[in-house]
Amino acid sequence: MREPRDRGERTHSRIWELLPWYVNGTLPPAERSAVEEHIAVCPRCQEEERSCRALEAGVHGAEEVAPSPHPVRLARLLARIDDFEKGDAAKPSRWRRALAAAGRPLRALAANPGRGMAVAQLAVLLLIAGLVGWQQWRARQPEPAYRTLSSPEKALAAGGPRIRVLFAEEATEREIRELLLGVRGEIVAGPSPFGVYTVEVPRAGDPLATVLTHLRAQKRVRLAEPAR
Amino acid sequence: MVSDDETLLLRRVAGKDRRAFEALYHLYYRRLFAYLFKLTRRVDVVEEVLNDVMLAIWSGAAGFDGRSRPSTWIFGIAYHKALKALARRPAPAQEIDRGEESGPPEAVDADEPESLLARRELAGTLGRALHALSAEHRAVVELTYFYGRSYQEIAEIVGCPVNTVKTRMFHARRRLRELLPGLGVTSYAG
Repeated sequence: MREPRDRGERTHSRIWELLPWYVNGTLPPAERSAVEEHIAVCPRCQEEERSCRALEAGVHGAEEVAPSPHPVRLARLLARIDDFEKGDAAKPSRWRRALAAAGRPLRALAANPGRGMAVAQLAVLLLIAGLVGWQQWRARQPEPAYRTLSSPEKALAAGGPRIRVLFAEEATEREIRELLLGVRGEIVAGPSPFGVYTVEVPRAGDPLATVLTHLRAQKRVRLAEPAR
Repeated sequence: MVSDDETLLLRRVAGKDRRAFEALYHLYYRRLFAYLFKLTRRVDVVEEVLNDVMLAIWSGAAGFDGRSRPSTWIFGIAYHKALKALARRPAPAQEIDRGEESGPPEAVDADEPESLLARRELAGTLGRALHALSAEHRAVVELTYFYGRSYQEIAEIVGCPVNTVKTRMFHARRRLRELLPGLGVTSYAG
């Protein structure tokens, strides 16, 4: 009799699929009862249920680490919203920047189509020169593939600005991580005998003064100053 | 109800109320940061996407129809923005290597109970395993287990049919089982 077994197997697959949501308690009542009925007689689903619960516990055990809102970033966002309200922020900002840069020759083109051709040619030349220059600059950059985790050159190669930071004694490890996350900083040295850490922030990130102001405003930071 | 307050805020944002927007920003900043980090596992992507999400909320709040929870609507926007950003910016090799080890060295607390230590260890191993999943699969796992969402809500957030959610979960479970033999029953049944 193959048919009842196939039907049984189909029920099993259907229930097996629902187990994660049985475990997180979000199944509608009818499905929940169906799962409970099946689990009672299915060792494979009992095993899978335990495994789903272990996964849930593990995922839940992971801390939710996030920095506090950053006033400077909020200010920047509000500026973007102003732009948006003026009607030109529907395009991504780098396009806007590029357009702003190209704005003058384009306006000249509109005003004087005859001279416009020369302006357009110049713009293309500038663009090509820029691309070539960028590629050369890229070629001179250290090759990230050669860097390793433990190598002491890593920080030097990354080469962002460094800050000396003294955290409050009562700061927890999690608070320190959140503070570092907020400025995308990485501890590259320390603590010194006085408890001072050297933190490197990305070169392409916020201006150093902004990072310092932000850190100094945090109640878990006793001191933040540029290193060297 | 929290959800009602948030609905009210969204309505005010739809009416171009900037103070409501700032309140929503403060309310959601940490939640969105953590959520986007769970999805992307890339700090560099998170910040950029977070602003894009907030801008999309500002411009699209009028489109929130109130049929779902505000967080479901916002998580949906964030999911799509995060996936787009990941497609635009493939992970640098370095980031992949570092995986969970990024961030400051773990401070060892002598008073930490053993169970907590064990839990952190599991979280570390699990973190690496989740990192190995695709963003689409990881999202379904996190939304189910960390955020406790039903499969219908997840379908709404990721914008796909319920069956796709179940299929993604099926593949994610199979992959996690390979990566985490420790999650198997034997070690947990004692």
